[in-house]
Amino acid sequence: MSVILKTENLEKTFRLTAKQQKLQNTKAKTLKAVDNLSFEAYKGEIFGLLGPNGAGKTTTLRILATLIKADGGDAIIDGSSVKTDPAAVRSKIGFLTSELKLEDFFTPNYLFDFFAKLHNIPPDVSAKRKEELFAKFGVDKFAEVKVSNLSTGMKQKSSLVISIVHDPNIIIFDEPTNGLDVLTAKVVTDFLMELKEQGKTIIVSTHIFSLVEKLCDRAGVIINGKMTACDTLENLTKEKSLEDLFFDLYAETVGEAV
Amino acid sequence: MSGIATVMKKEFARFFGDKRMVLSTLLSAVLIYVVYSFMGTAMQDMFAPDVDHTPIVYAVNLEAPIEQRLQSAGLSVRQIGENEVDSVKERISQRDVDVVAVFPIGFVELATAFNPQTVGGLPPNVEVFFNSTDPNSSNTFMRVVGLLDEYEAYLSNRFSKFDINRIDADMPVSPDLATEADISATIISSLMPMLLMMFLFTGCMALAPESIAGEKERGTLATLLVTPLGRSELAAGKILSLAVLSFLSGLVTTVATILALPNLMGGGADGAIVDVGIYSTTDYIWLGVVILSTILLSVAVISIISAFAKSVKEANMAISPLMVIVMVVGVTGMFGGIAENPMLYLIPFYSSVQSMSGILALDYYTTNVAISSISNIVYACIGGIALTKMFNSEKVMFSK
Repeated sequence: MSVILKTENLEKTFRLTAKQQKLQNTKAKTLKAVDNLSFEAYKGEIFGLLGPNGAGKTTTLRILATLIKADGGDAIIDGSSVKTDPAAVRSKIGFLTSELKLEDFFTPNYLFDFFAKLHNIPPDVSAKRKEELFAKFGVDKFAEVKVSNLSTGMKQKSSLVISIVHDPNIIIFDEPTNGLDVLTAKVVTDFLMELKEQGKTIIVSTHIFSLVEKLCDRAGVIINGKMTACDTLENLTKEKSLEDLFFDLYAETVGEAV
Repeated sequence: MSGIATVMKKEFARFFGDKRMVLSTLLSAVLIYVVYSFMGTAMQDMFAPDVDHTPIVYAVNLEAPIEQRLQSAGLSVRQIGENEVDSVKERISQRDVDVVAVFPIGFVELATAFNPQTVGGLPPNVEVFFNSTDPNSSNTFMRVVGLLDEYEAYLSNRFSKFDINRIDADMPVSPDLATEADISATIISSLMPMLLMMFLFTGCMALAPESIAGEKERGTLATLLVTPLGRSELAAGKILSLAVLSFLSGLVTTVATILALPNLMGGGADGAIVDVGIYSTTDYIWLGVVILSTILLSVAVISIISAFAKSVKEANMAISPLMVIVMVVGVTGMFGGIAENPMLYLIPFYSSVQSMSGILALDYYTTNVAISSISNIVYACIGGIALTKMFNSEKVMFSK
């Protein structure tokens, strides 16, 4: 198995405002969101980043998607560094998070074409891909409906389709099933499995144990910005369930039982 | 480079696809036309005398030569005695009577004999009383004074070429030597730069905060940032498309203003006072260059402020003080002469106002206008670079 994504000693520190200090009940002026984080993902696998809220999962994924810069360390994605060649990284990945939205005013049809152009996809290729993906997710029936008039599920499906407009080999999903009803969530997870079968590499972040158990080949447990465990799911759950392992790791790292 | 075109196309699709946005732009132009025309008509009505009113001049010690002049000018004359003057004055203040003119006894003889070079002293005095708040009274007063001036000129210039009774072909008909083009240019150049600055800036303000702060607020800008689209392409695409749209919106409102200007200035529908045909093609080209470069600068500045802001509301609040500054700078075009020092044409916005004033007053140095336009474009490019850096900055893009 070849390594397609490798992060080395990633670090990210945020400055806390007085308001944030008060909210988090701390006097520290900075917060280390990602602390010396290293992991690898292999080609064709689904890698899960598991951790509680505020553990640093989203920050890590944002660094990988080149939306923010790491203070230290680097990540090499399919041979390109997020630090030195972010533009190349962006053309190789598909990134989906609930924070990235589609413009309400436009239709899925228009937006698909728009993003295809931004990714320099030839029109005939993009048209074929649009037809396939729209049909698969049922977006075709709503192709000419403005995003503002779509249901939450259809919005999420449209975002998903558009995020992979360029058929990337690496797909990064931040909390892929958050806020979705069970039916839409199943469509998304089934699709992730399908992408894996196509040989794509998928990185997902989640705090849902069952999702990791269901989807992931390998997983890393992040607590307070640190990678506390990283292995195949088989090895991680050899002695205890993923949930028990997580709580033990949490108690070890934070120094208190949940 | 294709990214710039793609972003621009999307911005155009956003604007032209939104009927409400297009309608509100057109509606503001219609409103400008209606409001300015209404203002013009209202002002005219306020200061214009009644058409049906026959002006009456009450006069004391009026002699035949003067009476003839007044009557031939269409003024009705009533002779009164000196003892009636006070009661007539009272009636003037009550707007019942237009004007009373008190002549000295033997005015015609005194006036004819008066020669400042030989006699010295003061000429015979005529007292004319009127009520400035009554348009009929003001109008009659102006006419009486005009006739008296005419009479004075007739007496003193009896043998000169400017004798008003000796109108020849080679003689100026009106003592006002300003050409119609000058009058038009003066009126247009005093008003238009301020109005243009206002329209251009508000045009940019209506679009840029929504396009940048709005996209940032809604999370759609971040979606663009994870594509291979270069940050500089995004900045250039945004600035250029917003500039084109602002130009179109400015153009519509400017045309409405130009159409309304004759009504506003009281020239009526025939536009006798204000004539925009006085400018040459070169003047219009320079004006276009100044306007375009000013729009580019405005869009760049507003975009930077919008990128800093966390929401459209915050962006609009932050831009408001700048808007006031631009308006104040716009007003400077209404007063004083046109700056000649080329260095002054490096000051953003002020240089635009001066250039527009100069062009519209038909009194400008091409070098200065060129300095103004080039400096605006250079500032806009610097703004574009700054915007690129901001799109690259996570602190600016993702600060909450």
